[in-house]
Amino acid sequence: MEVSVTYVDLIQLLVVLLGSLSLAVIFGKYLARMIIYEKRPLEKTLGRVENEFYKLIGIDKYQQMTWRQYFLALVVTNFIAACFLFGVLVFQDLLPLSPKSGLSLDLAFHTAASFVTNTDIQHYVGDKQLSIFSQMVGLTFMMFVAPATGISAAFAFIRGFIRKDFGLGNFYVDFIRVIITFLLPVAFVSAILLMVLGVPQTLESSITVQTLEGAPQTITMGPIASLESIKEFGSNGGGFFGSNSAHPFENPNGLSNIFEIILMLSIPFSFPIAYAHLLGKGRGVSILVVMITGFGILLIVGLLTQSGPAGLETRFGSFGSVLFNISSIATNTGAANSALIGMSPDAIISLLVAMFIQAIPGADGTGMMTMIVYVVLTLFIVGLMVGKTPEFMSMKINSRDIKLAVFVFLIHPAIILIPTVIAYTNGDAQQLLGSTTPMTFTQVLYEYTSSASNNGSDYLGASADTPFWNLSTALVVIVGRYVPLGLMLAIAGSFTIKDRKEVVEPIRTQGPVFTSVLLIMTFLLTVLTFFPFLIMGPFSI
Amino acid sequence: MDLIQNIVNGQILRDSILKLNPLYLAKNNAVMFTVEVGFLLVLGIAFFPGISEFVNQTQELYFAIAGILILTVWFATFSEALSEAQAKAKVDSLKNLEKEVLAKKLEHGNEVEVKSTSLKPGDRVRVYAGQIVPRDGMVIDGKAFVDESMMTGESNPVFKEKDDNVLGGTKVASDSLVIEITAEAGKSFLDQMVGLIENATRPKTQNEIALTILLAGLSIIFITVVGTLLFFANFLGYKVDIAVLIALLVALMPTTIGGLLPAIGVAGINRLARDNIVVKSGKGIESAGDCEVLILDKTGTITEGTRRAIEFTPMEKFTEQDVGQAAYAASINDSTFEGKSIIELAEDKNIVPPLIDQILTAKSIEFSSETKFSGIEFLRGKKLPARASDTSPRTKVSDKLYELEESDKEIRILKGSVESMLKISACTNEAELKWKAQEISKIGGTPLAVSINDEIIGLVTLKDNLKENIREKLNEVRTTGITTIMITGDNHLTAQVIAREASIDEVVSEAKPTDKLNRVILEQSKGHVVGMVGDGTNDAPALAKADVGLAMNRGTAAARDAANMIDLDSDPSKILKVVKLGKQLLMTRGAITTFSIANDVAKYFTILPAIFMKDNPRLEVLNIMQLHSPESAVLSTLIFNAAIIPLLIPLSLKGIKFKAESTQKIFLKNMLVYGIGGTILPFVGIKAIDMLLSLVVR
Repeated sequence: MEVSVTYVDLIQLLVVLLGSLSLAVIFGKYLARMIIYEKRPLEKTLGRVENEFYKLIGIDKYQQMTWRQYFLALVVTNFIAACFLFGVLVFQDLLPLSPKSGLSLDLAFHTAASFVTNTDIQHYVGDKQLSIFSQMVGLTFMMFVAPATGISAAFAFIRGFIRKDFGLGNFYVDFIRVIITFLLPVAFVSAILLMVLGVPQTLESSITVQTLEGAPQTITMGPIASLESIKEFGSNGGGFFGSNSAHPFENPNGLSNIFEIILMLSIPFSFPIAYAHLLGKGRGVSILVVMITGFGILLIVGLLTQSGPAGLETRFGSFGSVLFNISSIATNTGAANSALIGMSPDAIISLLVAMFIQAIPGADGTGMMTMIVYVVLTLFIVGLMVGKTPEFMSMKINSRDIKLAVFVFLIHPAIILIPTVIAYTNGDAQQLLGSTTPMTFTQVLYEYTSSASNNGSDYLGASADTPFWNLSTALVVIVGRYVPLGLMLAIAGSFTIKDRKEVVEPIRTQGPVFTSVLLIMTFLLTVLTFFPFLIMGPFSI
Repeated sequence: MDLIQNIVNGQILRDSILKLNPLYLAKNNAVMFTVEVGFLLVLGIAFFPGISEFVNQTQELYFAIAGILILTVWFATFSEALSEAQAKAKVDSLKNLEKEVLAKKLEHGNEVEVKSTSLKPGDRVRVYAGQIVPRDGMVIDGKAFVDESMMTGESNPVFKEKDDNVLGGTKVASDSLVIEITAEAGKSFLDQMVGLIENATRPKTQNEIALTILLAGLSIIFITVVGTLLFFANFLGYKVDIAVLIALLVALMPTTIGGLLPAIGVAGINRLARDNIVVKSGKGIESAGDCEVLILDKTGTITEGTRRAIEFTPMEKFTEQDVGQAAYAASINDSTFEGKSIIELAEDKNIVPPLIDQILTAKSIEFSSETKFSGIEFLRGKKLPARASDTSPRTKVSDKLYELEESDKEIRILKGSVESMLKISACTNEAELKWKAQEISKIGGTPLAVSINDEIIGLVTLKDNLKENIREKLNEVRTTGITTIMITGDNHLTAQVIAREASIDEVVSEAKPTDKLNRVILEQSKGHVVGMVGDGTNDAPALAKADVGLAMNRGTAAARDAANMIDLDSDPSKILKVVKLGKQLLMTRGAITTFSIANDVAKYFTILPAIFMKDNPRLEVLNIMQLHSPESAVLSTLIFNAAIIPLLIPLSLKGIKFKAESTQKIFLKNMLVYGIGGTILPFVGIKAIDMLLSLVVR
């Protein structure tokens, strides 16, 4: 099929890049200030509000946590939030605002696990199965908790590199500050902008209209704009409707499409900029360049063959759909403005690679953390070649750091490939999808890849609402989130107590040479692992 | 060629085959262990082809694959055995020295022949010329030259007299010595050294451990990949073969670096041992590569340590000849190199002091570290010959001597450091003296003041020569990002000049003995890895504290104990060599790791089409290599994979070439050679092997 990228498409791309990067410049600076507790705009007012919260839950904001304490606080907070969501979903028939029958236990467990981990795989149809209360209080609340968790972890992680014994910070403080002084205000403003662009926001669960033929039609509605804004901004991706951002109420037109893409990319891109402020301009910019170039490679691969027209929304076109989906999946948001079925095999390869890498640019916070782990591994593999013990930021990389980093990379293929094998040997995959073809294999592989990388996009949707799929993906989601987070915080914990030197790094972690090496290694390390599966799956479709 | 000789060497062959023991591999080399397990599986399949539905190739292919797999493992164990054999050779040559000898033990004044092993500390033995010193001890009586070349590499025999230490295994070259044994059996220096080399080959260093973890991690990832691939291929209806999958696994695993890693580590220690440096721990070598600051002594390391007189500078009232005569007289009993050089210089200039007989018989004043001067003293009782009878030409010096005698004072002709001489003489023109001394310092010389009684008559310029090529060596060190600091007791000016001449970054002048330790601590507090050389007991704390401490064999036992390396040749500038070797060692590891991982790209393109193409023609695009047949693709990949190990053995034993350049440049260059080269080479190599195979197989 002839591939055509028009000038309009290129302008669209340019607007997306410029928009997300300029937001990233502003947010990056702001995040940097939050990381080192510098004065933010409106510091006094914000500080007062935060202090009230600290008092309310009784925490000492000056208490520094070790990486273990930080991780424990993170897990406990997430666990409580997940229990809350689980309760809301199971008992939504007893709760106000358009009650619907409660979800089954395994589906509620899956949904709670999926949303608390910033994954947002949906094995349900939101507009049909969830009450307004569940959507607004349960899910929308969780959509703040999940990215705030990732961003806080990244704060602690980056602090580990700033200077010796700077401290990783306090999880509760970071978590509260991120939600009320960053996510909430931005989500509020962007919700209003989305409303202006035509996304509805109402507490009514549906309206009834007369069609042109005169027949009455019920249209499902709800507080969509508020959910939509944090859905994209917080790399969540769980839609109000089953058809996600393909639904005209979630994503009404080309403008809202572009705006949502910008929202998705803004936080992941702002982390390297915060990093540039804190740890050296060149270093941050180099990482940003790797992320953007990697993103560009994904986009090119995705556009190699024409996607659609089947399965795509005509109002976005082929380019708009591919751009949205790649942005969404590369940031591990997982929203989709068109069915994955409509994507070309090359686009699917690109999406899978994005999820294998998880760091170009990756999810809010965790994308940056994963990228740093790539930096550490790359430095170790090629760094010995200059005849010195590899160093990162003038700190020696020791065997413990390597052990932790290798685990981060080991866990990912393991929790994708092994569950996929189980799904097939158990017969659950065949039962759901029929005979095994490259297409159905891709779908199962995609399901677990999306779970493991806390992405959230999937082929299966509500059809996978069976105990096997709910439980297996929920487990993958949990392991895929917390094990790497713990390992990466441990790396930060190891680096924060290291001596820094006053000399130049043996290999500068900036500049064109390092940037190219890092980019190549990032792709090489992941593609080497997954190449055969890409060949057997999407490549053979 | 050496290598060929080694292959036929029975010992190495035997060791390498013993190392194939799976238990040994499981403990020491996870990657090779996995390959061996793969070999056993394929071998099993070869014997029982009907064992599983996943077995559908010809028996010959299975045998061929099994053969190549075990060959891969053997190549790895061979490289390890080879490098260990080299280490052993050094140990054996040392052990040979301490063969049991007959010693002449002194009992009640009689010499009794006993076996050397029966000697206890406190026993006294007499060793005659041509005999071997039975064990470490101290000279009680006698003076003799001792040949220590077997121990230190120093070819000139060393003079030993009372209270000097002698080492067991060295040979008395002349006369005879009475020695009191000080070491217990099995605990002599030689035993320690053998122990050091033997032990040093075992424990892994930090980087090696980290690398092993990385390799194990990669192996586990690939095992997961290949293991699950078997299932998926089966579900998707591909006819896969277990042996081919094992081949894929082996090809993907970092077998090259995994196989050569142990050899590289041992080779580093070997190369130092060949340079007569004994390493106490592998950590020392690795830290050497990481060195960022080198603290160097001036004397012996940067300069020859032999200061030679080059000029006489008179004070205003005197002439060069006067100074020469006085300096000659003051040095007449001085047997040091400096003293002799003063006399040589004077004789070169045809300057001979007057009253030579009296000077020769005068009482000598020895140098001491408190007074810091030496010279001669005419005793008051001993009259000078009558002035009339003195035939030697009259000079100011002789005039002065007679003058002094007339006033019936004792006469002292002294030379010493300017400061010490100023203390004891009433110098009328201190300003002139200081200015002239400064001029000498400015050219990097050390001024020595010469006086007769309390009048300073002039200065001798002593100058130390820079060691050969030291400037080039230090420049090389600088390019790799190492800061050099010179520590010297010289005054600031002299030190600065030498530093400039030798291209040293920083100077600590007029240093006290504690300054070395302080500097090491200061640099380490900045996070730097510090290397230093030392030989004295007062260097011991700094040697122990430094990350790389190289002690001189000639130095005191305290220094040798504190350091993590000992140079048997006692050449301090060898620290530069140690640093270079340390870097080479790390570079070799890094380069082969990068090479190994880069290789994988090509291997995917050879084996994957071989697995899938028959059942899925769509994959034709992947077959960019256009290999002869799936079977030959698998075999040629494995052959390449195996053959690359022995091909890289020389590289891993010798280390990759090290050229002093900025790390950034080294990085770029090695990345191109081993990264890009490592990606391209297997494409070419495998294709070539495949073409050869296609000639043999149909």
